[in-house]
Amino acid sequence: MRAFGFTAARTLPEALRLAGPGSAFLAGGTTLVDLMKLDVLTPGQVIDINRLPLHGISRDALRIGALERMSDVARHPRVYPVIAEALALSASPQLRNMASIGGNLLQRTRCGYFRDVHTACNRRQPGSGCAALTGDNRTHAILGTSDACVATHPSDLAVALVALDASVRLVSRAGERLVRLAAFYRPPGDTPQVENDLRPGELITEVVVPRLPWARHSTYVKVRDRSSYEFALASAAVALDVRGGVIREARVAAGGVGAVPWRLPAVEATLRGKPPTRASFEAAAAPAADGARPLPGNAFKVTLLKRTIVRALMSLEARS
Amino acid sequence: MTDRVDGRLKVTGAATYAADNRLDRLAYGYLVTSTVARGTIVSMDTAAASKAPGVLAVYTPFEPLKLYRYTKEQNDELTPPLQDANVRYFGQAIGLVVAETFEQARDAAALIQVRYDAKTPAASFRDGLPSAADPPSGSPVSEVLAPGVGSIDDALNASEVTISATYTASMQNHNAMEPHPTVAAWDGDHVTLYTATQGVILVVDRIAEALGIDKAKIHVRNPYVGGGFGNKWGIWAHTPLTAAAARALGRPVKTVLTREQAFTVVGHRPASQQTVSLGARKDGTLTAIKNDGVSSKSASNSFYEPVANLCLSLYASPNIHVSRKVVTLDVPVTTIMRAPQEANGSFALESAMDELAVKLGIDPLELRRKNDSPVVPSSGVPWSSKHLDECYRIGAERFGWSRRNPTPGAVTDGDWLVGLGMATATYGASRAQASVKVRLLANGTAVVSGTGADLGTGQSTVWAILAAESLGIPVARIRPDLGDSASPVAANAGGSGSTSTNGPAVQLATDAAKTAMIALAVQDERSPFHGMAAGDVRFEDGRLTAGNLSVPFGSLLTSLDVPGVEATATSPKNGDKTHGFRSFGAHFCEVRVNAWTGEPRVSRWLTVLDAGRIVNEKTAHNQIVGGVVMGIGHALLEETRLEPATGRISNADLASYLVPVNADVPPIDVRFLDYPDTLLSPLGARGIGEFGIVGAAGAVANAVHNATGKRIRDLPITLEKLLT
Repeated sequence: MRAFGFTAARTLPEALRLAGPGSAFLAGGTTLVDLMKLDVLTPGQVIDINRLPLHGISRDALRIGALERMSDVARHPRVYPVIAEALALSASPQLRNMASIGGNLLQRTRCGYFRDVHTACNRRQPGSGCAALTGDNRTHAILGTSDACVATHPSDLAVALVALDASVRLVSRAGERLVRLAAFYRPPGDTPQVENDLRPGELITEVVVPRLPWARHSTYVKVRDRSSYEFALASAAVALDVRGGVIREARVAAGGVGAVPWRLPAVEATLRGKPPTRASFEAAAAPAADGARPLPGNAFKVTLLKRTIVRALMSLEARS
Repeated sequence: MTDRVDGRLKVTGAATYAADNRLDRLAYGYLVTSTVARGTIVSMDTAAASKAPGVLAVYTPFEPLKLYRYTKEQNDELTPPLQDANVRYFGQAIGLVVAETFEQARDAAALIQVRYDAKTPAASFRDGLPSAADPPSGSPVSEVLAPGVGSIDDALNASEVTISATYTASMQNHNAMEPHPTVAAWDGDHVTLYTATQGVILVVDRIAEALGIDKAKIHVRNPYVGGGFGNKWGIWAHTPLTAAAARALGRPVKTVLTREQAFTVVGHRPASQQTVSLGARKDGTLTAIKNDGVSSKSASNSFYEPVANLCLSLYASPNIHVSRKVVTLDVPVTTIMRAPQEANGSFALESAMDELAVKLGIDPLELRRKNDSPVVPSSGVPWSSKHLDECYRIGAERFGWSRRNPTPGAVTDGDWLVGLGMATATYGASRAQASVKVRLLANGTAVVSGTGADLGTGQSTVWAILAAESLGIPVARIRPDLGDSASPVAANAGGSGSTSTNGPAVQLATDAAKTAMIALAVQDERSPFHGMAAGDVRFEDGRLTAGNLSVPFGSLLTSLDVPGVEATATSPKNGDKTHGFRSFGAHFCEVRVNAWTGEPRVSRWLTVLDAGRIVNEKTAHNQIVGGVVMGIGHALLEETRLEPATGRISNADLASYLVPVNADVPPIDVRFLDYPDTLLSPLGARGIGEFGIVGAAGAVANAVHNATGKRIRDLPITLEKLLT
């Protein structure tokens, strides 16, 4: 960890004014402090935003303040089940009590090479190479990767929000904009260091979830080596609108497998108009890993992804 | 059922662990470690680090602290740190920065630029298997053959039924909750060390040697240890470096390994491969056991696991053959880890027994009962006290083993495939020499002291219970004083030998203290017992009694104005060569495997075992539960992942080196039979530290097979192995 300046902002304008080159906003700190200890992030100035009025969950739970803690959102009675479950299956209770919603969406990859400054990582140090390609890549992504980076996006919440087509409100001194989360995240391509559409000095102030009444029928399934306190090897956020024995509308997104939260429109399209049966689910999940670029350590994720989607859809239907 | 005597201190934070010693003018050390696995350090640019704020010193192979050569390996390494520029493994200590604060030392360490002349390391156990060599010590083969049998292969060929399979297990790291701290403080030519260790005497020996000083000038204190599992037996680089730096700087220094460093600066459990062949008659009677075991070994030391050895001790067979080979790798030091050789050895043997049971169509528990041996299978010497059949019987009844469906994959619960498995638990027992001192004090309490260590095992509570029992006073009036090198030399914590070795010494020392107390009572002119024959005075219920006269020992000492009476006694090592000493038991478990995504979860567990006399069921239960939890990790999660190309450990933190969390562990039912093993000692206690883990991974693997029909022969059993 390198020496840094520290300021606690009291208002949003003050926070935005303080932001500059080499500064970082501090909310729960569960990613930032961790990576600062590892010398992966070396901000010169840390701006504590915890006093900012970015709290609150609207009564319909469709607007969530960026500083809401994961545990509070997970407990909210109106939040869609897929969001609540994705949050409840994340991290540990201690982390969920600290980590903010905005910070969750901006958390950095768990790639061990990104986290070790003595190894090559294009995301951390552009042009240095990607040690994961020839190294230990069991937990890495199979979808949306490039020759420059195969890191997995770690957030569970982002997968649920992408499935629901949620947006983030971004505020900077230049103004405010609403960006669909699916467009916010950038696949690595040749510039893996650019992870998202966030501009310098910009802050996420809230998450906006579209009204989607049938998304009450939704779930999040997370597959991992141990039962708790671990990132996904594969996960699926699913929501189904089933009426008259037919799937009218479907939302499916996957985690643990993509360089970014991975929406699966082809799976959704195949589900539409079909009965909610195992055969329909298996047929729909079959192309889920099309275009995957598996590595020696993570080739199993091709099968695991499809099975995870089917399992999620089956468990959702078992509830109804 | 006695609570831990130090439980309250530990949960309230009042127990002083080694790193908690905040001495005046304390400086902080931080290790620099290598980022290549093999080669030579060409240069280390320390200019920026030396000038960084608060930095007191930067030590490197080019500006070293003098340490003498180690002459005796203690499950660690023979090369003292920083004495040459050779790099033998990734993460080796190559420098020490000392600064006014921990943060300053750490940040300065990051400024050091190291240039290497790097060479390609040997870092793949699998690639090394074809060229596995004889071990550096010990015989490469042990064999017992029935009269007239020419070879083990002849015995296998003559068997009615055989199975043969190869089992592998990855490297593991101990990951005790307390990392490795050393605090060193000098007073003239005398050094005091606070350092986490399984034996303060081991530290004295190593520091005397490395720093070239008289053992009498070294005092090591370590009353509380936050877990060891074998990893705090060896003395690692930071300990002599910290002691030497404190001497050079003339102020106390503390160095604590980071979690990442606690994967490389310290040792790990070797990787292993075992090829097991079993021959049997159709009724299940074993006729041949063969196990060719291979262990990885660090190029930096000689420790390896003779992983096939358990086959010599577990099941009856007229023909047994085990072999030992090693694959030497450019990796951190290989060392002892909970049940060395037997945790992995039992995984292979217990899996093979299950495979044989399937092939024979015999219940796997029945197969084990059929081959239960009243004698040591390899020598014919009788066991001192073996009640394994009772463990099998009680376990089967309690667990509902008879309801097990032998057809794999036949039982489901929703999306989960459910299977039952079992395995034999076992671990050897021993009694070494130990000395303990008991001091009776005028306030009516007693202090029991010896160099033993309580790693969180409950050892100090055992000492208190045994002393209280003998003195006839409450446990709360005994103060166990462990982990002080100034005390009489008791057993280090290792090899499940603490209670079996130290327990009898506590009993003897308490008896000696009572005798000394009576002697004082009859000799001191001011004593009401003065002039009586010692034989007429009894010490019971904490009182000295003769006829109608009865005085608590504390009151007597007070009235005589004597602060205390003490005695030291030595319990000898076990000299019995006519018996084998070993504990036996049985694990039963239920495992669920998700039918879609393959992840295995343990859902039920029972262990029934006989470890001789159980001194304190509460802490003993904890020990077995801990062993089983570690066994679940061994079976399903724990794996040190080594990059073959670089020799770097790719998961050197607790986020990616997985140990079980609470959600992975079902309630664990533990039953002790409690038959004192009076041939081992008058106390009759064997040991329980390693017992719980042995057989646990085999039981899980066997349950996975029963659930899925898939035989996974490579640990850990992760979901991708069950997806196909």
